[in-house]
Amino acid sequence: MKIEAFLKELQDELEFESIKIELKTILKDCDEWDSMTALVLMAYASSNFDINLNAKDIEEIGTVESLAKKLGLI
Amino acid sequence: MGCKIKAIEFVFPEQIYSNEDINREHPHYDIDKFQNKVGISKRYRTREDETGLDLAVKACNLILNKYSDLEVDYILYCTQSPDYIIPTTACILQDKLNLSKNVGALDFNLGCSGYVYGLQLARGLILSGECKNILLVTAETYTKFIHEKDVVNKAIFGDAASASLICEHEDDGVLKAVTKTDGSGFDKLIIKNGGSRFKYNKESALKSYGNNFYTDNKLYMNGPDIFNFTIENIPNLYFEILEINNLKSENIDYVIFHQANKFMLNFLRKKLKFPKDKFYIDIDDGGNTVSSTIPIAIKRALNSGDIKSGDKLLLVGFGVGLSYAGTIVEL
Repeated sequence: MKIEAFLKELQDELEFESIKIELKTILKDCDEWDSMTALVLMAYASSNFDINLNAKDIEEIGTVESLAKKLGLI
Repeated sequence: MGCKIKAIEFVFPEQIYSNEDINREHPHYDIDKFQNKVGISKRYRTREDETGLDLAVKACNLILNKYSDLEVDYILYCTQSPDYIIPTTACILQDKLNLSKNVGALDFNLGCSGYVYGLQLARGLILSGECKNILLVTAETYTKFIHEKDVVNKAIFGDAASASLICEHEDDGVLKAVTKTDGSGFDKLIIKNGGSRFKYNKESALKSYGNNFYTDNKLYMNGPDIFNFTIENIPNLYFEILEINNLKSENIDYVIFHQANKFMLNFLRKKLKFPKDKFYIDIDDGGNTVSSTIPIAIKRALNSGDIKSGDKLLLVGFGVGLSYAGTIVEL
């Protein structure tokens, strides 16, 4: 998957409206990030990449770039 | 010889706690997004002087009033909100229901997997020939355990009790259960203080996770890890339940999973490729009532006509413990 397509999918899945998600975005710093968003992200990773992220993974994810690496996109 | 679920009743407390109430108390929390994703618009809370047992008495009486000629010989009472540490809540219930002293009564401490365990225990007692009519009760008041600043858990959980009458029957209406446990996750959903390991501590520090706040005297739930546990284990459990009962997916008329969260249930439904009209999702009115969500769902699905007598239902409960279990019932 191309990074541009991933960023668009992520934007749609997380339903972030106040910010455009980029590689340098730190998800947890976004106003719209909450515990429900974490579950949405986990479901997205499981359905689309067959990767089950745990609470520690979520805690350790910094930028969207680090998430993309975790999902094997970079 | 087998057994069947003859009747199910449930009750909520009278006090409604709506999303408008949450919005008023937590104006910075996006309750609309919560409602959209999790699927809950109102839940019910017990008053301070009202307990799970009070709700259980009401639910049981709804059944006993209909079947007054029937002699109950056992009470299975599932709760994590007992009236007292000692004695057993089911013993008090026997007295409050004016049941015979020949009644066996026990509490069992399980959460969201509890109803399936209760069916398994009832089946075993009946198939052994020792009992004929069993009152299976689930009663939970988690709202008493939640910190006033813990907005997400306040929005998820509600109080309720259910009563099911499981009776001896010539047909098999409760099939074999698969029960599983992963105690390594005991601290993923926990009230740490107040038991024998750690005393209740009135000085307990306020802790935070995400947008939530709690102390060790109150309920803590690690949402992401519980979600992960569910998506890793429940799809396989579904197929094990079919296998142990020599059935296939096409033999199942309807699926009812523990009603934890609409988003999670939809994820599981898609993973199992189950059509929407055969998979129950409705926690809008009542929220996550722990061990009562499955009997509430069965009763509501019967009332709405989504299921009918003779249908085969596959039931799965999962959560605190960590504990997960499933079975098949034919109504």
